[in-house]
Amino acid sequence: MGSPCQIHVMGEKKTELDEFAEECRQQALGFEKKYSRYRSDSILTKINRSAGKKPTKIDAETFALLNYAQVCYEQSKGFFDITSGVLRNLWNAETVKFPSERDLEEHLNKIGFSKLRFNDKEAFLPINGMELDFGGIVKEYAADALAATARKRNISFGLINLGGDIAIIGPKADGAPWQFGIAHPVIKGRTIATIQLSNGSLTTSGGYERFVEIEGERYSHLLNPKTGVPFKSILSASVIADQAIVAGSITSIALLNEETDGLDWLESCNLPYLAIKKNLECIGSLARNE
Amino acid sequence: MKKINPLVALTGAALALPAIAADQPTSAKLSFLSSTYHEKDIKNSTILSGAGKRYDIEKNQFRLVTPLGENWSGDLYVSQEAMSGASPWGTFDGADDESSLIMSGATIRDKRTQVNLSGRKYNEDSSYGFTLTRSKEDDYSAKGFGVSGEWDLNNKLSTVSAGFSFSDDEIKPVDALKFGRIEKGKKQTRSFAAGWTQIINQNSILFTGISHTVKQGLLSDPYKLRDTRPSKKAEWTLSFKYRQYFENRNAALHADYRLYNDDFGVTSHTAGIAWKKSIGDKLKIAPRFRYYSQSEADFYAFGDNYSLAKTEAQSSDHRLSGFGSTTTGVQISYELGKWSMKMSFDRYSSKNSLGHAESEKEHPALLDFTLWSAGFDLEI
Repeated sequence: MGSPCQIHVMGEKKTELDEFAEECRQQALGFEKKYSRYRSDSILTKINRSAGKKPTKIDAETFALLNYAQVCYEQSKGFFDITSGVLRNLWNAETVKFPSERDLEEHLNKIGFSKLRFNDKEAFLPINGMELDFGGIVKEYAADALAATARKRNISFGLINLGGDIAIIGPKADGAPWQFGIAHPVIKGRTIATIQLSNGSLTTSGGYERFVEIEGERYSHLLNPKTGVPFKSILSASVIADQAIVAGSITSIALLNEETDGLDWLESCNLPYLAIKKNLECIGSLARNE
Repeated sequence: MKKINPLVALTGAALALPAIAADQPTSAKLSFLSSTYHEKDIKNSTILSGAGKRYDIEKNQFRLVTPLGENWSGDLYVSQEAMSGASPWGTFDGADDESSLIMSGATIRDKRTQVNLSGRKYNEDSSYGFTLTRSKEDDYSAKGFGVSGEWDLNNKLSTVSAGFSFSDDEIKPVDALKFGRIEKGKKQTRSFAAGWTQIINQNSILFTGISHTVKQGLLSDPYKLRDTRPSKKAEWTLSFKYRQYFENRNAALHADYRLYNDDFGVTSHTAGIAWKKSIGDKLKIAPRFRYYSQSEADFYAFGDNYSLAKTEAQSSDHRLSGFGSTTTGVQISYELGKWSMKMSFDRYSSKNSLGHAESEKEHPALLDFTLWSAGFDLEI
């Protein structure tokens, strides 16, 4: 999954928990194998390699994920776009100067979810060089899937943490809620808020972890698919929802906007949230608990 | 086009993902519940003749719900109850303004068996079901069927439901010749129901339902000395059920209200409230309270009037008087792996004066009863 994954489970029989942990590992590897763009045999790589050439056959789960991505695209007014991954060529660890107009234009031509053609049987990227990237969707979906597996196995206490995307199975064995510290966006290793949770999911998106510094100015890795340039967004958003996939896309969209629009978006979703503004002010219903 | 709330749109799309979607039962569930129902005896001073010991009922219920293939589920329900006790035959309105009850002489003993068999087909955005019912006791038998459908709308945040059921009942009163009772009577019941369930947010749900029932045939009680009711009855109900989960309390509030009206002239209100509190992850305690109140039927008579022609509608059945009742109870359940143990206790008390439209005089047969239940659910 490209980031540290943790499973905390509590129960009476160790063998049952071990079996569950093994099933989780297999299930997580299954998602990685199927949807990682770094693996040559994943369905995503197949679709990307066939871009501009031919449609690729997809299964019901991939179709449901593409549908989900479409809803994200529509709800975010086009800012959450799973075809925007090609911009990473312009903004990465080696970037030292602002990309040229020509480079930007060339990449923007290969972006646009509305160009993707798909139905329940196949998916097709019409332009050679276009790419799909399920970042912001599949890891969160996997967390939901593992938590559902736990419930099917009658495991009632625990949580799944896939690189910060948290799906709660149930509270701690003594009934107490789990506590999560939200990282301080500026001071490394410090937390800025604490969130308690016994059920549902919690995800956090932050632009501060991965960024590009050009002439002293920081640019986050959250890029505007319409301009190819990073947003001047809020620093971090945390959301609690029933499903990690829903919480994850809401926090992602919050950061794929300028600060005011991102805050409006969070407010419109009617979910508990914590947003950290550029001036380090914490707002949202979860901030008020502090 | 109306803009969809982002949470609604995203949740709807997420629920279509195979690892998250899990609406239909995936494992079979076996349930057993045993109940003891005890009606408080009637004060001897109010009995003109007969026995004062009222009904005791022992009831056992068994249920098996199981998935059948990919898209079907099956549901078998069997219940058996054994009743014994005396029931009111009539009332006598005494000159001293005191009423007297005429009770059935000996203790009545009867057994009732009911079997329901249901099937349900689950589609992506809808489900359709059928039910066949059969029940039998010494003097009564009923056959019925029902069909229903449910349709998900607004990305599964709303569900519309509709159903129809039919029942064909036959009563053959015991000792009909000895007591001059009708030898055989038939009753047919047709019922239509429609409902709307709305998920308001992640912690609250509201159900609104309406139903219309038409009963035709022998609606009188053949065991009563003088009981003549119209042979057709139309009933309407409007119900609301609200569920609110409180995360910080780890508890859920259940609030229900039902308005009932029929063309016998009875209007009733039922309001119920329950607080389902989880203590830890295994123990649940749910105290509950229900209030019921009804107005009397147009032809309700406090004392039986033998001077009226037998064809004139009249009944002294306490269930047709204007009264009110309260039910106070608690349910405790404990989960242990695949087992869930349940126990509950309810105390019901009815009184003339508790009602919103009380009858002029209190009916002496108004009930008080207690109900104990214990059972388990097992996932298999």
